[in-house]
Amino acid sequence: MTLFIDHNAPVIVQGITGHQGMTHTARMLKAGTNIVGGVNPRKAGTEVVYPGARNGEDAHIPVYATCQEAREATGAQASVVFVPPRFAKGAIVEAVEAGIGLIVVITEGIPVADTAYCVALAQRHGVRIIGPNCPGLVTLSDDPANPGVNLGIIPDGIVGRGPIGLVSKSGTLTYQLMGELAEYGFTACLGVGGDPIVGTTLLEALQQFNDDPDTKACVMIGEIGGTAEQEAAIWAHEHMTKPIVAYIAGFTAPEGKQMGHAGAIVSGGKGTAKDKKETLERVGIKVGRTPGQTAQYMREIMANLD
Amino acid sequence: MDLYEYQARQLLEEQGIPTPQAIFAENSHDVAEAADRIGYPNVIKAQVKIGHRGQAGGVKLAKDREEAILDSESILPMTIHGHKVSGVLVAEAKNILHEYYVSISVDRTSRDYDVLATANGGTEVEEIAKQHPEAVKRLHISALGDFDIEDARKMAGEIGFYHADVEQAAQILLKMWEVFKKNDATLVEINPLAKIGDPDDESSKSLCALDAKISLDDNAAFRHDGWKRFEDPIVSDPYEQKARERGLHYVHLHGEVGVIGNGAGLVMSSLDAVSGAGEDQGTGIKPANFLDIGGGASAEVMKDSLSIVLADPQVVSVFVNVYGGITSCVEVAEGILKALEEINTAKPIVIRFDGNAAQKGLQILLSADNPRIHVARTMEDAAQLAAKLAAEQKGER
Repeated sequence: MTLFIDHNAPVIVQGITGHQGMTHTARMLKAGTNIVGGVNPRKAGTEVVYPGARNGEDAHIPVYATCQEAREATGAQASVVFVPPRFAKGAIVEAVEAGIGLIVVITEGIPVADTAYCVALAQRHGVRIIGPNCPGLVTLSDDPANPGVNLGIIPDGIVGRGPIGLVSKSGTLTYQLMGELAEYGFTACLGVGGDPIVGTTLLEALQQFNDDPDTKACVMIGEIGGTAEQEAAIWAHEHMTKPIVAYIAGFTAPEGKQMGHAGAIVSGGKGTAKDKKETLERVGIKVGRTPGQTAQYMREIMANLD
Repeated sequence: MDLYEYQARQLLEEQGIPTPQAIFAENSHDVAEAADRIGYPNVIKAQVKIGHRGQAGGVKLAKDREEAILDSESILPMTIHGHKVSGVLVAEAKNILHEYYVSISVDRTSRDYDVLATANGGTEVEEIAKQHPEAVKRLHISALGDFDIEDARKMAGEIGFYHADVEQAAQILLKMWEVFKKNDATLVEINPLAKIGDPDDESSKSLCALDAKISLDDNAAFRHDGWKRFEDPIVSDPYEQKARERGLHYVHLHGEVGVIGNGAGLVMSSLDAVSGAGEDQGTGIKPANFLDIGGGASAEVMKDSLSIVLADPQVVSVFVNVYGGITSCVEVAEGILKALEEINTAKPIVIRFDGNAAQKGLQILLSADNPRIHVARTMEDAAQLAAKLAAEQKGER
C-alpha cells in the first residue's frame, strides 16, 4: 500500500513554464518523480527540456493546453500547482474537473474564498487537495524501480524510506525534523500549508498514516492559529493506533499579529500555542519544547519499536 | 486587514444595510459641525481598531454642541489598549428597543462560512456564548456560495429574530453576505443589530446596524486595487512599515534579540527558542522581532533584512536561523557580509545554517574573520548563545 499516491505515479505541473515551475520541475525530476507533462494554454504543443534531469538523460516534458487534455494524454494521477494567486482558483478548478485525483498547491497568497471554493468542489468530486501555501508531499520507496514522488519544493535527499510519517503546517520545520530523524527514515512527509483553509488537514493526514501499515509512528508539527492541532489530537486519541510526537511553534507570538503565514494568528484569545500544547498533552501526545526535543521523543519511540 | 467602524459602515451602506446617520471627523472643529448636522443628542465614538473602547471611555453621548466638543477633545488624543485613535464618528443617537448580534466569518474547521447570531446582542459575543451558550446559534453558508433569500429567511427564523423582524433580518443577512463576498471579507460583524423606534408605535420600529466590524482578506487585495481606499494613515511601527515596503514578513516585539530566518514556522520556533533560553539563563531575554526572509531569498533580501533589524535600538544581539531548502545558505552568508560592510555595528550576530549549501555558507562567514559573527551548530545552541550575548551586552551598557 502507498500513501496518498502510487509510487512512480505520472504527474503533471500547472504553471510549468513560470520561474518557480521550471526550477522545481527540474528538482522533482532529479528526485526521480515521473513528471509526464505541463499545462499552459499559451504554450500548448511545445516542450520543455530539462538537460540531464532524468537519470542523467534529458527530460522532454510536453506542454498541454488544459488539464483535461494532459490527463487524457498521460494518465496523470496528480498535479502540482505553481500558478500565481490570481490565476490559482481557475487552475485548481480545472484540475478538479479533469478528475486528477491529487492536487498539490504550492502557491502562497491565494484569497481564502478561492481556496474554500476549490476545497468544497474537490470534496464533491472526491479529489484531494494538499495546500495551498505548502511545501508539498514526499513519499519514500525502497524500490529503485518504483520510486516515491516528490511533489512540490521539499528538498530531495534528506531522508530515505523508514517507519515515520510526518505532517506539518510549516515548510522549513518539516525539513528540520526530517533532518533530525534522517537516521530512521520516513514513509511520507507532507506540509499541509499555513493558510486558514487547507485541502488536507492535520487530522486527515493522520488518518492516512493510521491506515498505512508501514507507518509506525508520526510527527505532527503545528503552529498558532485555528484549532486544527486540537481536532487532530482529539481524533487521534479515539482512533489512532500509533504513537505521535508533536511540536508547536509560536508560544511568543503576540495576540492579533499575523506571523508570516496567513493562518498563523491568535485572535480573540483563540489559537494560542499554549492551548494547543495543553490539548495535545491531555490526550497523551508528547509536545517537544524545541524541534530537537521533539526529535528526541521520537528517538525514544523508535528505540522501543519491535 | 481590519477596518475602522466608519469604513465598515461605508461597506454596509453600499449594500443598503440600514445604519444611523453618522459623520467621521478628525478634529473638534469638524466634530462640532458634524454634530450640528446630525442633531442632538448624538454619540461620539472613538475610531480605533480594537474592541472594548466603550469601557476605556472612547464612546460618549453628547447632548449639545458644547458636550460634543468636550467629548471629542477628550477622545481624539486617546490611545486605547495601545491603539492610537484615528478620529471620531459622530452618530445619530437611536432609541434602542432590543439588540441582536450577527456575524459572518470564515470557518477554518468546517472550511466554509459561519453565521453566528444571537437574539441577546449588545455585549461581546464571547461573553454571551459563555453565559448563555444555548442562545448563540451557529449556521453555515456553503463554500460554493449558494445562499439566497429563502435560505436567509429560514436562517433568520432559526436565529430567533422576533416574528415581526424576520423578513427585515433576512434581507439584512442576505446583504451582509453580499458585503462579505464582494469585498473578500473574512469577518462581517454587526453588533448590535438593533431594533430601534418608538416603543408605542409599531410602524416606527426597524432594524439598524449600530456598530460594525469588518476584516478583509489581505491575499485578495489584488482584486480590490490594493485596498487603497482603506489605507491607514496611522503608521503603527516604523520598522514594520520599512519591512512591508520591502515585501518582508516582519512583526516587532518587545525583547532584545533580533530574529531572522526562512519560513514562518522556523522563525516562530526561533522566537520560542530565544525566550526559552532567556528563561533557562534567568535573564528574561526575549526576541525583539519576527522576520521571515521567505523561500529562495537572495543576498540582497538578507542584507535588507539584517539592516532593518540592526537599525532597531532595542536589538542587542541577532540570531539568524536558516534551513536551506530552496534558499541557499551561500546567498544568506553573502547578504550578511554585505550588510556588515555597510553598517558598523557592535551587535553580535549568531548564525546557524543547515540544509542547502550550509557548509559553504559557513565557510564564507568564517573566512570573513569578523568578530561580530558567531557560528553555532544547532538551532538550540544558537538561541542560547544569542540570548547569552544579549544579556552580556545589556549588562555592559
